[in-house]
Amino acid sequence: MSAPASLRRRSRLERRSPLLTIGAVLVAMIFILPAVWLLVGSLRPSAEIFSSISPLSWRILIPSSVSLDNYIALLTGPFGRAMGVSLLVCFLTVALGLVMSATAAYALAVLQFPGRSVVFAFVVISFMVPFDAIAIPLSQLFTGWGLTNTIMGLVLPGIGNGLAIFNLRQYFLSIPTSYREAATIDGASEPRVLASVYTPLGGTALANSALLIFLGQWTAYLWPLLVVSEARLQVAPVALARTFGEHEFNFGENFAGAVLLSLVPALTMFILQRSFGGLALATGEK
Amino acid sequence: MSVQARAAARTPATQRRGAGGGLGRRRSRRRTKELFWAAVFLLPALIAIVSMRIAPTVSAAVSSLHQGFPGGVLAAEFSGLANYSELFGNDMFRDTVIRTIVFNVIINPLQVAIALIISVLLTRKIVAPNLWRMLVFVPATVPIVGSSIVWGIAFRQDGPINAILAALGGNPQPFLTSPSQAMASIMVVISWIGIGYWMLFLVSGLQSIPDEYLEAAKLDRAGTIRTFFSITIPLLKRPLLFVLVADTVANFVLFVPIQMLTNGGPQNSTTMQMFNAYRTTYTYSSKNLGAAEVMILTVIMLAFVALQFRLLREDRPTRRKR
Repeated sequence: MSAPASLRRRSRLERRSPLLTIGAVLVAMIFILPAVWLLVGSLRPSAEIFSSISPLSWRILIPSSVSLDNYIALLTGPFGRAMGVSLLVCFLTVALGLVMSATAAYALAVLQFPGRSVVFAFVVISFMVPFDAIAIPLSQLFTGWGLTNTIMGLVLPGIGNGLAIFNLRQYFLSIPTSYREAATIDGASEPRVLASVYTPLGGTALANSALLIFLGQWTAYLWPLLVVSEARLQVAPVALARTFGEHEFNFGENFAGAVLLSLVPALTMFILQRSFGGLALATGEK
Repeated sequence: MSVQARAAARTPATQRRGAGGGLGRRRSRRRTKELFWAAVFLLPALIAIVSMRIAPTVSAAVSSLHQGFPGGVLAAEFSGLANYSELFGNDMFRDTVIRTIVFNVIINPLQVAIALIISVLLTRKIVAPNLWRMLVFVPATVPIVGSSIVWGIAFRQDGPINAILAALGGNPQPFLTSPSQAMASIMVVISWIGIGYWMLFLVSGLQSIPDEYLEAAKLDRAGTIRTFFSITIPLLKRPLLFVLVADTVANFVLFVPIQMLTNGGPQNSTTMQMFNAYRTTYTYSSKNLGAAEVMILTVIMLAFVALQFRLLREDRPTRRKR
């Protein structure tokens, strides 16, 4: 306990370089300013986005009036529906994906069977090959299977995530085997052991895997473009890209859509990071 | 009393486990049971792999060996490698392949190098390092559709980038509408998102380098640059390799900004293999030719990844902790 404290004190005493700090500020500004411009643009009328640019002034980042009109117009239109479809697809994918990843990880970490390491390598490597590369031939198979323009057609390719299986397996390996032995002696079957011993203990790894699966699906663009043609099943990124491509641009609404798309992952990461912190502390004290 | 009762209840189980006679049979029964559950638990994952990874790869390979009329009115006929020879005999396709390779040779090392420089800067003794790291990371949370929109508007003739150029005394630039600038503009868009993301991995890699190594280098009077190349880089090989490979894989299948911002133009200057395969398959309805393009893209990408593994795996320290 005393070692980290003394380390911290020492680093606090060390001199911080003002020159390097200025460099860090400049780098951070390059990355954050376009994002600030995006956020500000979503809160002001479309016409003002360009009128604030020339002549160049600080007005470019400070709106004369702030309103949520762009968001209201966007969410009451087709984009609102697309957000709903996206959320539904994401939750279904996370639910199915977690069951699939957890059962596979449990079999690969806990159960003894011949060829286990070969199966593990096969599962992880085949999920690591980028999905986009085979999205075009897969979409043609989905047409044959009658899965185009269905929610399941959007969900299915997202449930397999090699990194989620890998993470969960590593975590399950760290759980003492005596827990499972105790449960088995009490007469628990393997699904029971997974559900009532491993799943409650795997909080951090499960949240991490859920985040991976969720973000993969939330930002998906190419696959929904290939597998859905009906407007009622359009996901948010595709719907947004469509309005951007229209001849009648509405920049304010485009900005608001981009902010809404970014907000969900940013909030999810923030919330999960907080619960990660709590969980890490709890397990660390054992 | 209750303790005794619990102990009594547990006795049969202990005896069962300890019994000598039926041990072999019980163990094999237990093993069969585990095998059964392993099969049940792995089944969904294996079905997903076979139907959604292997089946499309096989179908693309088979489809690439057939030729049919665009639109698929008649059944396609087996044609051997005719699609491949047609593609490589086509100047436009060859240009697309070369463009994809050049793009990746430039963008991947460049993004990793910039991410590394920023990570080094943000792990030095500076005020509020976490704040600057967070600000650099924020663009990575914007999905690529959103980033394409921001930059698509920013790069307009009447957009803020040209306004800044004008304020600095420069001439307005066409950016996305110019064959010579469109590709560089796309690189800016994807770097804005990518660099902050890769930076996170490199920062955590830099932080896991023990201070003792850097102090030892200081005692040996090694300069900053010498220390960086002889100590930091070799110890950072694993995260560097991961970032380089993941970045390469992502950039080989780059699609969204090309479709949204330039649609492959102007004058095909931003047409890369992924977009080309999409256009061949869906816009021109040449499914067999598109499948051949997907196969060629996958082979080139895997060759690049294998090459990077080789380059970065070599001359690792011979004495490693096991």
